[in-house]
Amino acid sequence: MKRIVYREWRIAPERYWGILAILAGVIAIGGAAALYMEHEGHWVTGMTNSVVWGMPHVFAVFLIVAASGALNVASIGTVFGKRLYKPLGRLSGLLASALLVGGLLVLVLDLGRPDRLVVAMTTYNFSSIFAWNIFLYTGFLIITVGYLWTMAERKGNPFMRPVGTFAFLWRLALTTGTGSIFGFLVGRQAYDTAILAPMFVVMSFAYGLAVYILVLMFSFHLDERPIGERMLKRLKNLLALFVGAVLYFTLVYHLTKLYGAKYSDVESFILVNGGIYTFLFWFGWVLVGGLVPLGILYHPERSKSASWVAAACGFVIVGGLAALYVIIIGSQAYPLEMFPGQTVIEFGLPGDIGGTVAGYAPSFPEILLGIGGVGVAMLITAVGIRVLQFLPESLADQDVDPHAMARSAG
Amino acid sequence: MTQLALVIDLNVCVGCHACVTSCKQWNTSGWAGPMVDENPYDADPTGTFFNRVQTFEVGNYPQTETVHFPKSCLHCEDPPCVPVCPTGASYKREDNGVVLVDYDKCIGCKYCSWACPYGVRELDEQQKVMKKCTLCIDRITDQTLPESERKPACVLACPTSARLYGDVHDPDSEVSVAIRERGGYPLMPEWGTRPANHYLPRRKTRMHITEDELQRADNPLTKEDITVYTGEETLDDVTW
Repeated sequence: MKRIVYREWRIAPERYWGILAILAGVIAIGGAAALYMEHEGHWVTGMTNSVVWGMPHVFAVFLIVAASGALNVASIGTVFGKRLYKPLGRLSGLLASALLVGGLLVLVLDLGRPDRLVVAMTTYNFSSIFAWNIFLYTGFLIITVGYLWTMAERKGNPFMRPVGTFAFLWRLALTTGTGSIFGFLVGRQAYDTAILAPMFVVMSFAYGLAVYILVLMFSFHLDERPIGERMLKRLKNLLALFVGAVLYFTLVYHLTKLYGAKYSDVESFILVNGGIYTFLFWFGWVLVGGLVPLGILYHPERSKSASWVAAACGFVIVGGLAALYVIIIGSQAYPLEMFPGQTVIEFGLPGDIGGTVAGYAPSFPEILLGIGGVGVAMLITAVGIRVLQFLPESLADQDVDPHAMARSAG
Repeated sequence: MTQLALVIDLNVCVGCHACVTSCKQWNTSGWAGPMVDENPYDADPTGTFFNRVQTFEVGNYPQTETVHFPKSCLHCEDPPCVPVCPTGASYKREDNGVVLVDYDKCIGCKYCSWACPYGVRELDEQQKVMKKCTLCIDRITDQTLPESERKPACVLACPTSARLYGDVHDPDSEVSVAIRERGGYPLMPEWGTRPANHYLPRRKTRMHITEDELQRADNPLTKEDITVYTGEETLDDVTW
């Protein structure tokens, strides 16, 4: 295998600054939306006392889950010794950090009191999985920066494997923690199950890789760097595997819930008669986020086309957002069963009145805040690859694939 | 350990909402306030309430009955909202068992609202911190108030005395006696949260009166008056 040469992103300055300007605009709008919600109060959002986490959390959790998944690409090269993936490691680390920062910003700005972040960082209640997540997130950032250093600096190279292994274990813990935020909640019928933690881990593999492939293709395409067929095939096969695994976990999650009679109501709400949530589950989560990308990625012809693979990645991302919308918001919208068999007709919380589903329509500022977080992640990535040597000069088969090298030598 | 709590008699609660309004008045102007409202008056009022009377019907029409169920924080002995709080803003007082929120430490993450299976935590939409019933902690611990007034506002306001207040760990307290003797029960005990607040069940009081009980069987006049009347004026016709 040839020595991998990394180069800064050498696109034309006007194009680079144009991208930066667009991203800065997106971030500014997101920031203004956060400021508006902070200034006016919680009631300008679609959230109520029944649906307390709304659209910003969907984006934040997606970005955080995708962050840990994006780091997976580096882990495959370092921890599992797949040489083909080694050139992808640096971008993997950068993208993971960027996505995490974007997600955390959305999360923090969606707190009731973001001004009290210092309280959250200095006062811990260690019986709270939420408090543990603060450590998991900040630790992830520190470890990823260290991991990047071992990849980029010759002096750090000997530490790459142990640090990479530690980062891999840490990212597993992080996504387990994120899934457990929901899995540990016994008060909501859709949660209270251990399977949410491994399901989030598998989701992170799929969503992180989808984002990674898109960013890789976009940055390589603009800079006219080649991605070899073999590399593309490996990445798309891996994505298909992860997408299939997400579907498998989704099936087991719902079968687990369906087996117990006490959860049949909430299951029929999600799967059959939950309106937008049922639609998003079947159409978004299962079809767009699962079956359609699988169909593309395993199609004998279309899977060879970079455009179709990119489209499959897009579908996985859209399906992922739909999945998190169903998991986070659908589960809150389903009313708490306070008086079993009875219907509250007066003066309940919004979700309780008439025993109906709590209404939630994401407000515009909430969506803008979420998109702002995506903008932050992309801005960090764009600046990172521009000023530092994160991207390999070529991912053409003859440059990175040891088997292709062997073949050509033979 | 003392565990202060409310015992609510569903048998006499008429759903007048006096407890709701008195709670709102006391707490919005006191230590726990303000409790902001965006739309306090229309058909679907919004805003922060520590205490809500939830009304539901039982039975099928036309054999239905209306049940008024006042619900506020149940001050669980094992409250699920406390361990989940990342900053420890949610806590249970050791001296009297009241579950409270330290507004200065609350970051408004709303995770406790997810954890509470009773849906009694409410985010103040303007202050953006989590709020809930304090059992009027500023009243019940105020030594300057006369003993009889050291009770939650809702207890003092209830016109039918449906709300009792006291220490459920003291076997001789009014609330313990009521729970013991009148079948007091906690809401959803299956969660294992051991709610301190209890409810006294609704009971139907029916009188069983037979026909002969309505006629005076031992009327002395009937027994002793042996006169046979034939339409003339009797002692009963005399106007006094």
